[in-house]
Amino acid sequence: MGLSELLTTYGQDYLTALVTTWWMTAVAFALVMVLSIAITVMRVSPLKPLRVVGDFYVQVFRNIPGVALLIIIVYALPNLRLVLDYRTCVIVTVILMGSAFGSENFMSGINTIGVGQIEAARSLGLTFTQIIWKIVIPQALRSAVLPMTNLLIAVMLSTSLGSQVPMSPDELTGVVSFINTRSTGGILAFLIAALGYVGTAAVIGLVGNRLDKKVRILR
Amino acid sequence: MSLNHTDEIPVIELRHVDKHYGDLHVLRDINLKVSRGEVLVVIGPSGSGKSTMCRTINRLETIDSGDVLIEGKPLPKEGRELAAMRAELGMVFQQFNLFAHKTILENVTLGPIDVLGMKRDEAEKRAMELLARVGVAEQAQKVPAQLSGGQQQRVAIARSLAMNPKAMMFDEPTSALDPEMINEVLDVMVELARGGMTMVVVTHEMNFARRVADRVVFMADGQIVEEGAPDEFFDHPKTQRARDFLNSIKGH
Amino acid sequence: MSNHAKPLSIRDALYEQPGPHTRRRVLIGTVITAVLVLIGIGLVIRQFYITGQLAPRYWTFLAQPTTWRYLLQGFRGTVSVALTSGVLALILGLVLMLGRTSGVKPLSVVCRVVTDFFRGVPSLLLIYFFFLVVPQYGVKLSSFWMITLPVTLAASGVLAEVMRAGVNAVPRGQVEAAMSLGMRPARIMFKIVLPQAIRFVIPSLISQLVVVVKDTTVAYVVSYPDLMQNARVLITNYDALVSMYFTVAIIYILLNYAINKLSGFVAERMGVKIIR
Repeated sequence: MGLSELLTTYGQDYLTALVTTWWMTAVAFALVMVLSIAITVMRVSPLKPLRVVGDFYVQVFRNIPGVALLIIIVYALPNLRLVLDYRTCVIVTVILMGSAFGSENFMSGINTIGVGQIEAARSLGLTFTQIIWKIVIPQALRSAVLPMTNLLIAVMLSTSLGSQVPMSPDELTGVVSFINTRSTGGILAFLIAALGYVGTAAVIGLVGNRLDKKVRILR
Repeated sequence: MSLNHTDEIPVIELRHVDKHYGDLHVLRDINLKVSRGEVLVVIGPSGSGKSTMCRTINRLETIDSGDVLIEGKPLPKEGRELAAMRAELGMVFQQFNLFAHKTILENVTLGPIDVLGMKRDEAEKRAMELLARVGVAEQAQKVPAQLSGGQQQRVAIARSLAMNPKAMMFDEPTSALDPEMINEVLDVMVELARGGMTMVVVTHEMNFARRVADRVVFMADGQIVEEGAPDEFFDHPKTQRARDFLNSIKGH
Repeated sequence: MSNHAKPLSIRDALYEQPGPHTRRRVLIGTVITAVLVLIGIGLVIRQFYITGQLAPRYWTFLAQPTTWRYLLQGFRGTVSVALTSGVLALILGLVLMLGRTSGVKPLSVVCRVVTDFFRGVPSLLLIYFFFLVVPQYGVKLSSFWMITLPVTLAASGVLAEVMRAGVNAVPRGQVEAAMSLGMRPARIMFKIVLPQAIRFVIPSLISQLVVVVKDTTVAYVVSYPDLMQNARVLITNYDALVSMYFTVAIIYILLNYAINKLSGFVAERMGVKIIR
């Protein structure tokens, strides 16, 4: 199949798939950020049970393979009477894994601040709340820009898990397997999808690097 | 210029302060009074507890027993009261500890604006005066990492001064500096002492101690072993520990 | 000196030594959250119970040696794919990195594009490439290579970047010193830079093995008998889906946790940082 034939037959499918990948990535990443913050707050809280749960969460979800988690959510949870539609299953999988890494990024952002600055803030008479809002959070956020850019790309790549469940419309990896099971798309069918990913990753990386240069904290 | 009236309430007072780290007895029955305008220099070998003592004054280190009194009032143990008391005491660290994400100017205005509730333009005007006083006014818009160690430490002093502290603690302020930068920081401290600031200075700079101190405290093994006027202490140390210590640093 | 009491991590340093008031509030908070956590765990177990998933028939197969023998077989498959991919990716990554840092413009551009391509494409897409596209060109691959090759390619891009970071970490002065001795660039790379760079990145390379292990789990797409695939077979035999998947997931988690721990341990022993 040549490029023009491929595009006339499946062009619309590719476009829909690309938008689906983008959409899933955006939704998942937004929720990854929310959950990452929540997990990080738990992990730095003074309450031991919350710390233990937060640390445990991170260890589980940064080490579990995406497919294993997806399969559990798709096939095992219904047996526990928790049924989600396929697309939601994929997004939940991506969020659970992504937030473990997101929390790690925030934690290392917090760790780079150093004890000294906290003590200096304390000596100035800043209260705990002020120290968190004025010193800790701004620095943690700013030094997390680059790792979070990489996480956003990783989140996009892991939406390809959508190809493992019946989803309509397909995302970018699913559409390649869809096309190739119906006709011989050849290497072009694969490259078009790959270009979608690589191009998006390049744009994300570019924007992330720009932003990082602007907000990076010199040390 | 020691104004050591016995009836005056000391700015800082430590009474029977004890502290352990596990089995290690790091502060043993420390008793100390610092009067208004007095410059107290604390010296001693490393591990003697001098930094720890300095840090107990604003409760960066907690104590096991005894009392820390600021102007006769016990240092609060937590919360807003503790923060308010800390705001009245300046602290300068070995590692400067400037806020890495804020400009030099913002480092100095943060306390006045957020703790004292000062208006921004007023805080900035005063910060610029202080930065000029310590000689780094031209650097106001830079961030800490762009400054030399000596400049950073002078900013740290300005940051403390911006709070109008009743007393200032210096925890080895020149130990992390390259030799050629030590004097620029010491000069600022001499200036402060001349201006009547109440100061507790933990340092290895013996010349500074001799020149500026009203009183020298020598610590070893968590105890105050000896104290006295600088000339007396350096020329005629009473204890063997102090003599050994002074001899050991003379060799350098 | 105050070193003894320095908190180990900043997350402890955020909090002061608590006063009596704070200590009481923390205690109350600890009790409340502990109860909440226990209630949460209880609810999960209850859900397993009321849906019948705790019934012995779902779990007894775990006591049978045949189950474990079969899983072990799958585990061997996982390990052989992961290790083969790891080694191949290391070689390919090294080649890509050397090409990119060679200073030969066309070569370095090509290597950069290839590296970015493999980093920017999901491994699943690469797997479909080898599973669906390659056979269209008459190339017959065994299921082992159908899973090993895409995992290798996906990892090689990342490893190339990790190794490049290691090369950049070697002080520039050493290269200059070697050049002033009259050494040629290639010699400097192999004799001076690379040995040190590899040392810097050994822990990072170990931790990348986690990604490789995770990627191997889609081996079922090409019907290669790895741990996950064998677990799926067992599920059809025993009709014990929930218990089986949870068991397998725990095995993967423990394996990757161990790899991460090893990487951290080596990093600490060698005094280097882990690049991700």
